[in-house]
Amino acid sequence: MAMDRNRLTFAAVVVGGLLTTVAFVLAFFVAAPVLANNTLTAGGGALIGGKLITNPVLFSQKIFFFHVPVAITSFVIFFFTAFYGVRFLMTKDKRFDTKARIATEITLVFVALTMITGDIWTRYEWGTWWVWEPRLTTYFIMMMLVIVYFVLRASIEDEERRAVYASAFGILAFLDAPLSFAITRIVPSGAHPVVLRAGGGLDAVQLGGFLIGLAGMLCFGYAIYQLRIREETAKERLEVLKASLEG
Amino acid sequence: MAETATAAPKRSSSWRQFKAILRKDIVMELRTKEMLSSMTLYTLLTLVIYQIALSQSGSGFDIRLIAAGLVWLAFVFTSMLGLNRSLVHEKDQGCLEALLLAPVDRPVIFFAKAVGNLIFLLIVEVVTVPIFAVAFMSGRPIAGPFWMLVLSAFVGSLGIAGVGTFLATMAVNARGGSFILSVLFIPLMYPALLAAVAGSSAVVLGGEGYAATFWQAVGMGAGIDAIMLLAVFALYEFVVGA
Amino acid sequence: MPEGGSSTYAVEIEGLVRAFGARKALDGVSLTLPAGAFLSIFGPNGAGKTTLLRVLTTLTNPSKGTARIAGLDVVKDAVELRDRIGLISHNPLLYPDLSAQENLEFFAEMYGVEDPAARVHDLLTAVELDHRRLDLVRTFSRGMLQRLSIARALLHRPEVLFLDEPYSGLDPHAADILDSLIASVRAEHTFVMVSHDLAKGLELCTHALILAKGRVVLFEPRENIDPDAFAATYRSTVGMGVA
Repeated sequence: MAMDRNRLTFAAVVVGGLLTTVAFVLAFFVAAPVLANNTLTAGGGALIGGKLITNPVLFSQKIFFFHVPVAITSFVIFFFTAFYGVRFLMTKDKRFDTKARIATEITLVFVALTMITGDIWTRYEWGTWWVWEPRLTTYFIMMMLVIVYFVLRASIEDEERRAVYASAFGILAFLDAPLSFAITRIVPSGAHPVVLRAGGGLDAVQLGGFLIGLAGMLCFGYAIYQLRIREETAKERLEVLKASLEG
Repeated sequence: MAETATAAPKRSSSWRQFKAILRKDIVMELRTKEMLSSMTLYTLLTLVIYQIALSQSGSGFDIRLIAAGLVWLAFVFTSMLGLNRSLVHEKDQGCLEALLLAPVDRPVIFFAKAVGNLIFLLIVEVVTVPIFAVAFMSGRPIAGPFWMLVLSAFVGSLGIAGVGTFLATMAVNARGGSFILSVLFIPLMYPALLAAVAGSSAVVLGGEGYAATFWQAVGMGAGIDAIMLLAVFALYEFVVGA
Repeated sequence: MPEGGSSTYAVEIEGLVRAFGARKALDGVSLTLPAGAFLSIFGPNGAGKTTLLRVLTTLTNPSKGTARIAGLDVVKDAVELRDRIGLISHNPLLYPDLSAQENLEFFAEMYGVEDPAARVHDLLTAVELDHRRLDLVRTFSRGMLQRLSIARALLHRPEVLFLDEPYSGLDPHAADILDSLIASVRAEHTFVMVSHDLAKGLELCTHALILAKGRVVLFEPRENIDPDAFAATYRSTVGMGVA
């Protein structure tokens, strides 16, 4: 069983590497620029962050093939924080808390990557470092929630209480992320145009590149998760051995 | 033994227990006035900060654009002060343990504490809003009817009291309790607060179709309250006993 | 089956384990205690005494095994059980900003005590606090707090009384009053006491238990215990430390 896990993890690393490389090649050498910005394609330009942006074809568009898969992966992994949180509260089995914690750690890595790649996008595409646009805002809040999850853990002495609180907060935080997105999307903020809109349409190559990139990122996410779990399990086993020697 | 067996008490009803906890919190607060006085004072000081922040904005600046946001900001910070206090009371002498030892369903404790906090928060709001209006809104009436403002304040406060009571229960057992409460509270309350500010702002600013914007925001706020309150209600039993 | 006296045993514990991860606070505790007995629990710090008390008072769930108090399961019948147990801890478990009477009235409501006014009055008289009933608990001395705390624990006429280090922090005079209070209600309750004080614990008990590393080291009725040998056994566990 453990052997299978190891092989699967190894496979996930290899496949993840291959797929993201393929996506990279597709993005830069094959796919046409993604027409993410409807206003721009109409040729009129858009006012973003106080500047008129009229250039629709930019190098930064290539980041779509990484940025979006990373963002989706972060949310997929965040789901496991909540999932294992529920499992922990139902069983009080410490292993589920460890799994939830590691899922949150990896969420943080992917959210940070999302923020960085997203920022490169906004800088080149929109000419500004930061816009309080629904997705950016949502990810900012999500990043705060994930960081706070660890702040909460660090502030509680008792191991079991820490696990219970972290599980409860993880579940709430996971519910909160889509709510943040919904509210920023629906409540009109007046100040900024809604720039990104789905349904711009991707051609087969673009969609293929995107999906391959997504699959690659998910593989990476899984692999990192398994590696971290293995490390934590080994650490915990060592603690048990130490305790039994002392006893 | 026989005597105690026949005298075995009938269980108290949840409604009676709810009232008892709520009454106890109110009696204690009326006696010490700890929460209300510190919350009100804190709000007043927040208004002083606003005066400083706005001091260079000039006479042409229309405060109404940000009025709702400023008032909610004051509510958020004062509510955290009150929420923290309300659970520290319970923790001080191990009283929370005494409550948990009583034959009471855990959600009853949650509801009673949350309703108490909601009442205190609403009182502070009733004090704050007129002062804010006098201090900053002179000569600029709100566009919509007053009851709309009350409704959006209530929907927002409901979420603050519910989620806040839950988080305060955790924070009271954490190192650096009030700091932990605020870092947990702000990101988690983001959607509810945004909805509250959007709703209140629509009433203050008015303009074409403001009623539609208002109802959309208040509806969203109520929906977010419902989801978050259900979640904390389900999770409270685990957290309070941990 | 929430009728009282349904079991001749006040406490029945079977294979109780309380663990989180690899750390076991309780590691297979089993014992039975007849109704009306007085159990003293001894053990070094970290032996699992507090955890055992928390499990028996329904504040913590066991990981494995079962425990029944007065015939009621600590997990399945927790809410009914809470009506039949009381806890006197070294922490007073009282609200400082309420008066003595208000504190008792509040807990009487929580337990649904019949004719609360009369019950509260009787208890305040019994613990000799009637003259201070309108004073805030904040102004009470340690001994007065402990007496009021006993009144609180007795409000709902529990069958089993749990005592968590009740003597810690009491001056000799207050300890004497506590002694006489316990003696006065001794006949009506089963007692389970956690204590560090060997002499006191042995003096009061009908059964004694020594825990170490979450396991039962010794569990005997008082008449089978030789105090010197018992003290030696107790001392040998102190070095064993935390499980």
